[in-house]
Amino acid sequence: MKITGLKMFLGGDGSRPLRKQLSLTLAVVFTGSILVVILLLDQLFGWQAKDLINQRSVFFMDTMLAVRQYTSKQVNPVIAPLNEGGGAFRPEAVPSYSATTVFEYLRGSKPEYKEYSYREATLNPTNLKDKSDTFESEVIASFRSSPAQKVITGERNTPLGSYHFVARPIKVTSQSCLVCHSTPDRAPRSQILAYGDSNGFGWKIDEIVGAQIVSVPQNTVFRAKRESLLATVLLLAAVFSAVALVANSILNRLILQPMRLISKKAEEASVTPSTVSFTEKNRADEIGQLAKSFERMKQSLAISMQMLKDRQKP
Amino acid sequence: MAWLGFVNGQHKGITTWLALMGKACLLMLSLLLASCSGTLNTGKALCGPNGALRVGLIDPREGLDASSQQPFANQDIENFQTMLAQASQCEVRLEPLRSTDRARERLADQEWDVAFLPPGLTAFALQQSAGYSPLRVLSVNQTSRASILVLASSRFQRLADLNGARIGLLRRGSLTGFYLPLYNLHGLSLNQVTFALNYTALLNMLKDGKVDAIAWDNSQAPASVPVRSLTTDTHKIPMGALVLSGALAKANYLPFLKSLDDSSGQMPAWLGYAATILPNQQELQPLKAIVESVESWEMPLDKQPHRVFGRKVGV
Repeated sequence: MKITGLKMFLGGDGSRPLRKQLSLTLAVVFTGSILVVILLLDQLFGWQAKDLINQRSVFFMDTMLAVRQYTSKQVNPVIAPLNEGGGAFRPEAVPSYSATTVFEYLRGSKPEYKEYSYREATLNPTNLKDKSDTFESEVIASFRSSPAQKVITGERNTPLGSYHFVARPIKVTSQSCLVCHSTPDRAPRSQILAYGDSNGFGWKIDEIVGAQIVSVPQNTVFRAKRESLLATVLLLAAVFSAVALVANSILNRLILQPMRLISKKAEEASVTPSTVSFTEKNRADEIGQLAKSFERMKQSLAISMQMLKDRQKP
Repeated sequence: MAWLGFVNGQHKGITTWLALMGKACLLMLSLLLASCSGTLNTGKALCGPNGALRVGLIDPREGLDASSQQPFANQDIENFQTMLAQASQCEVRLEPLRSTDRARERLADQEWDVAFLPPGLTAFALQQSAGYSPLRVLSVNQTSRASILVLASSRFQRLADLNGARIGLLRRGSLTGFYLPLYNLHGLSLNQVTFALNYTALLNMLKDGKVDAIAWDNSQAPASVPVRSLTTDTHKIPMGALVLSGALAKANYLPFLKSLDDSSGQMPAWLGYAATILPNQQELQPLKAIVESVESWEMPLDKQPHRVFGRKVGV
């Protein structure tokens, strides 16, 4: 019963003018379509937003890896000798320092980068600010237990809300790393005086010592999704409104106007059939067929009226 | 029965459909609300200029060796970071440092928005060039006094005898291990200055004959070798402090401070955070003048001769 009622409501039961019925039907159909589209696109844009953030995060990590290599190959040989003495330790020689510093500049360069944070979390770092917390240590442990794993993505809950993260392992690949990270005896004296001799040592070649981790608040993912969804919905609403207006205008021009004209002529024909001509009968469409029918009816009416007059003659 | 099943199935289908449409309507509503409200900003967050809160943490007890530095235990640091994030409502980048020298550089470059500092670095941070403001007292040790020690058997009897001697100091930024000893050695030409990370290392250097005299803090456990004090500085050592950068001092930091005060009971005891107690700037003044004075001198380099010379303020 309910479905029949809906069909009557959408298809028209003759209780409303056609134009109103069409507007109503189109409004219901279009609103339903928009709601279905919202449901589908909500999922799609969610995946897309996450994908974009993952791609950007991987790009950041690649960039920071390049900065690390540049520091290791070109900056460290120049700066490291300065650290041999007992003067101030120059961290510019350290790849992780360069990477995190460059990222800070990158982060400040565009508003859309500001929400990203980059860490080189390490199990046993020289600078304790890079010390991995419990969550990061678990990520690093995953990389260590399955070395084939190259990327880990996921969600992390913090007191400030949920974060989406992408992580990649940091592996000791160069002997030059071991100068500062094998034993305190090998490390530059300035490094020992700056960071102490109790942490950041005992690293080994090919060991996974930490992870590059890019984090973004989940709100950013949701916002990116919402913005795409809102833009699409507004676009759809605008297109559907235009379609409704055009459809209404076409209905008016193709059907309603000729029908109103035919209706007026039919009323005249009912009184004085000879004075009325259904000129629309020349049309090939349904309006033409209706006009032809009315023309035949008019002629029949004229004949009947003539016969009636002839009978009344004495 | 089949008819009943059909009716039930149709009913379920309609219910699911209505639920989906309801969800879509809610989504639509949230979209509209989000577009009307714009970007949410609670206004309570206290963040640094780069969007995160950079926090420096130095053990308030200067010159302890690494094994006795409880503040840098993993869980302590993690809990402390969480507490700061909750108080500031901002991403926290906590940098625990053992080296007062590195901390001094950080403060000079204004690379920290908030810092928990020992007395010497507090005095440094309050200098006009650094521009930090003290907010809370960190009362850890009130028995500190700066001394200069020699071995009991040493030929040095007076401070003036140290002219041409080899001296062991803590790194720049330490009050009892660097600023005050250097201030008291003013006018002497030292044969060599050697830096160490902590008082234990300094004492070992003295014991091994690598240096003739060392800086010492009287609050340390008694020395394990027979030693003699050449001089003990009379300045009262004030307490450390929680300081805030000049930029953040202009922002609304009171909710942050209130949150820290409220959770002071959960703060690590070693930090000595004293809720609601403002540092006495008057008490810090003499120390600030000494630090400023020593900072204006030429600085000694590790294992190099050094003449302690420069304008000395009388305090």
